[in-house]
Amino acid sequence: MSEAATLTKTVELRILRYLPASDESPSFRSFQVPYSDDMSVLQALQTIKDTLDATLSFRWSCRMAVCGSCGMMINGEPRLACNTFLRNLPPGPVTVEALKNFPIERDLVVSVGDFVKKIESIYPYIIPKEPKTVAQGTYLQTPAQLAAYESFSDCINCMLCYAACPQFGENPDFIGPGAMALLQRYNGDSRDGGQQKRLDAIAGEDGVWSCTAVGICSEVCPKHVDPANAINQNKTNSAFDFFLHYLRKDAAQ
Amino acid sequence: MEHFEADVLIIGAGGAGLRAAIAAAEADPSLTVALVSKVLPMRSHTVAAEGGAAGVTQAHDTLDNHFNDTVHGGDWLCEQDVVEFFVSRCTQEMVQLEHWGCPWSRKPDGNINVRAFGGMKIERTWFAADRSGFHILHTLFQTSTKYPSIKRFDEYFCVDLIVEDGRAQGATLLSLSTGEFTAISARSVVLATGGAGRVFRQNTNGGIVTGDGMALAFRHGVPLRDMEFVQYHPTCMPGTGLLFTEACRGEGGYLVNKDGYRYLQDYGLGPVSPEPRNKAMELGPRDRLSQAFWHEERKGRTVETPAGSVVYLDLRHLGKAKLKERLPLICELAEEFMGIDPADAPIPVRPAVHYTMGGIPTDIRTATPIPGLYAAGECSSVGIHGANRLGSNSLTELFVFGHVAGDEAVKFAKGAPAVNAGRNLEQAKASAAKALALRDQKGAGERHADLRKEMALTMEKGCGIYRIGSEMQETCDKLAELKRRFANVTIEDRSAAWNTDWVAALELGYQLDVAEAMAHSALERRESRGAHQRIDGFEARDDEHFLAHSLAHYREGASPEITYGPVKITKSKPGERAYGALGEALESKKEATHV
Amino acid sequence: MSERRPYTRPIDEDWWKKPPYLSYTARELSGIAVTIYGGVLFTGLFSLWRGPESYNAFLRFLQSPLSLLLNLLLLAVVVYHVVTWFQTLPKTMPKMIVDGKQVPAAKITQIATLAAGGSSLLLILLTMWVAR
Repeated sequence: MSEAATLTKTVELRILRYLPASDESPSFRSFQVPYSDDMSVLQALQTIKDTLDATLSFRWSCRMAVCGSCGMMINGEPRLACNTFLRNLPPGPVTVEALKNFPIERDLVVSVGDFVKKIESIYPYIIPKEPKTVAQGTYLQTPAQLAAYESFSDCINCMLCYAACPQFGENPDFIGPGAMALLQRYNGDSRDGGQQKRLDAIAGEDGVWSCTAVGICSEVCPKHVDPANAINQNKTNSAFDFFLHYLRKDAAQ
Repeated sequence: MEHFEADVLIIGAGGAGLRAAIAAAEADPSLTVALVSKVLPMRSHTVAAEGGAAGVTQAHDTLDNHFNDTVHGGDWLCEQDVVEFFVSRCTQEMVQLEHWGCPWSRKPDGNINVRAFGGMKIERTWFAADRSGFHILHTLFQTSTKYPSIKRFDEYFCVDLIVEDGRAQGATLLSLSTGEFTAISARSVVLATGGAGRVFRQNTNGGIVTGDGMALAFRHGVPLRDMEFVQYHPTCMPGTGLLFTEACRGEGGYLVNKDGYRYLQDYGLGPVSPEPRNKAMELGPRDRLSQAFWHEERKGRTVETPAGSVVYLDLRHLGKAKLKERLPLICELAEEFMGIDPADAPIPVRPAVHYTMGGIPTDIRTATPIPGLYAAGECSSVGIHGANRLGSNSLTELFVFGHVAGDEAVKFAKGAPAVNAGRNLEQAKASAAKALALRDQKGAGERHADLRKEMALTMEKGCGIYRIGSEMQETCDKLAELKRRFANVTIEDRSAAWNTDWVAALELGYQLDVAEAMAHSALERRESRGAHQRIDGFEARDDEHFLAHSLAHYREGASPEITYGPVKITKSKPGERAYGALGEALESKKEATHV
Repeated sequence: MSERRPYTRPIDEDWWKKPPYLSYTARELSGIAVTIYGGVLFTGLFSLWRGPESYNAFLRFLQSPLSLLLNLLLLAVVVYHVVTWFQTLPKTMPKMIVDGKQVPAAKITQIATLAAGGSSLLLILLTMWVAR
């Protein structure tokens, strides 16, 4: 293929647009973008913004799948735009929509406030089992103890798992996979002693018990965090806690 | 306009801003800390740091070693008293992060593990696989939620500082989600807005790294210090500029040219050894490695690709298991973005802009020339990096000086008189009106996206790895032209909610100011030092005239004026900066004379 | 007055009919087959309790072509349920750490499936030995 031919090759992006100032509801709009083999969906969106339509809005920053900003639905699947490459998508138009299950603020930008509140609600910090001063140095933590929670600490808060979770779609108050992974990240940490507090936070209807083990959350996770595992481990923990709670009550009487 | 009154205002919620917020909240829980970020805090660019953070840990290492490595690495342009303070605080900050839960990589016995890094004599880089910045940022963010006195303003963009009665008293913010303005009054203000690497074309930085805080302080009369020193990281992805951490080489990776030859031995970094050797070959400092690439390219010993010429980062001999354990993110990047398995094939790499050594000048307590205004992190120039930063010093800087900034801001706030709320609100309204005027101006159809591209190109051309006076002059002229054209920008999007077209234009305004400070500081420095290398008759370091900090002063409607300030030398007299065999020889000679 | 007006999209009521959720739906539905199997066993037990006549009638029913067909079908669905259940297993248990490293999910599934297959086989052999 000649160079000119490569340069004129284009790809169609069908983008779900929504401008709150003027639109009653979202609708699709198509753009033709010059295609190159190494182009990510994010780069295609940037090309649209820089050369075709500056009013298109989307979040992005690091470009390397670690900041978690650019989650969106690409051909119906929750993906990070920065590490989804056009060459790997089937030929034909690429459909891009805001992340499912979240309200759309504008175009590809969704509301993130509720998600952040959920993260904050599960005590996402070390509640030390044995408090130590800085002068006393670090805690010991063997590689095995690290491995027990390490994968859960890899969550980049991109919210793809929420977009994949049908239970969250039906019940927006469900604590959801990402926040549960974070909970397990701290509950599984050998330095932490806050397990009881966190279990109390997720025992209700909107806690672990909204999960029906669909498991797609783990499949769409770009960092292999396995939030489904975090939730289901905590179903067991929560159930045990429920019964132990009665035992403790009896003991107290 | 909404008006929020806080005691301490922190702008930027990356590593430095979050550390400052926690320090402030701990120093006095009764004070309200407003923490502003234009993104959710965990999106801040600290997230992309890979290799790790320095802190003397091993028994055979000393604070003096860390001091010497840093000052030599900075080509003696460091504030030595600040470096001494810095190295003495590093390890305790690392321990503090460990207590807050940072998943540092461990030795089999459960103790902290450290890895080798460029320009460091002894291994002292704490790491969390190759996602150190990510883990640190999330640890800090999550820990910060514990303090009720921290009131966050997520996704608020700062359009101006409020300086009233000769002291910093707040800032004017644009809420991205509503497009409405909020004024925050505070008795002290901390800038922690990060670097400005996006003014260059190929860079490792996230889209948000646009020098906002630097430009804000600059426009309020704070001179920007040492802006000509911009770090090129030697191992980045061609095209995108994404980073392959120095830890690749710390773990034992090789850099080879098109013939498979470890070319660094030709540039005073030998001898060659199969195992990594501290301060030699691939573990030389970043400026030297990027410069060596430039020479290889000139000699035709690099490989041409559509995204520019490349050399290879060869990690194959490390084996799959070690790569997966120590460098999982690198493997992921190579596999997902380039279709390369580093265990099977070498990774094509080239230098890209990574870090701004200069910034808002502060004293050892992080105070800027404006009373009540503090700065920490990459936006600041506290004086530890000099003319070239050593890898893994910048993450630690965030905590050491973020901590100091939080403490100092609290101290200042408690001693300061009440803010002038009425006057502050007036200032905020004026700033908001100015920002709105840019959004709504008719302009002449100039697109800011085009200006941004031209800026990035001219910065790369004139202020690259090696610099020539005439080319720097062209860059200065081009930037002046771009600033003129910026006045003619027409913004397509006139709406309020999530108007990223408008915000990008505001950011470009900041970038152009910062770029000018860089280019003019570079043009005026007629010597070669660290990351500033000239090949037009000023190839040598000139301590007589230029052992001095450059200071770029903002001038409305004109290019910045450059002056110079003294460098604090305490115990390390400027000497020859050498690595590899020569470096070792010089060091043993020095030790011998000391005995 | 803010221009902000978040738009909530209608939820998709049919999500369970579409991929990738279809495999989840199939897994959950196949649980019904396990219940029916249990019902068959329980009926046998009940008829045993009622006396030899009832039990013989139950055995005759089991030998009928209709019952054989039903059992074959149930067996297939239950095997499917078992296989998918073991695929889900790693997601429901604490992380297994051996030598400081996490055991991969596929390994856990593999071992559990083999163990289940092996014990089923043993049970069959034992039953044949007892009934010989």
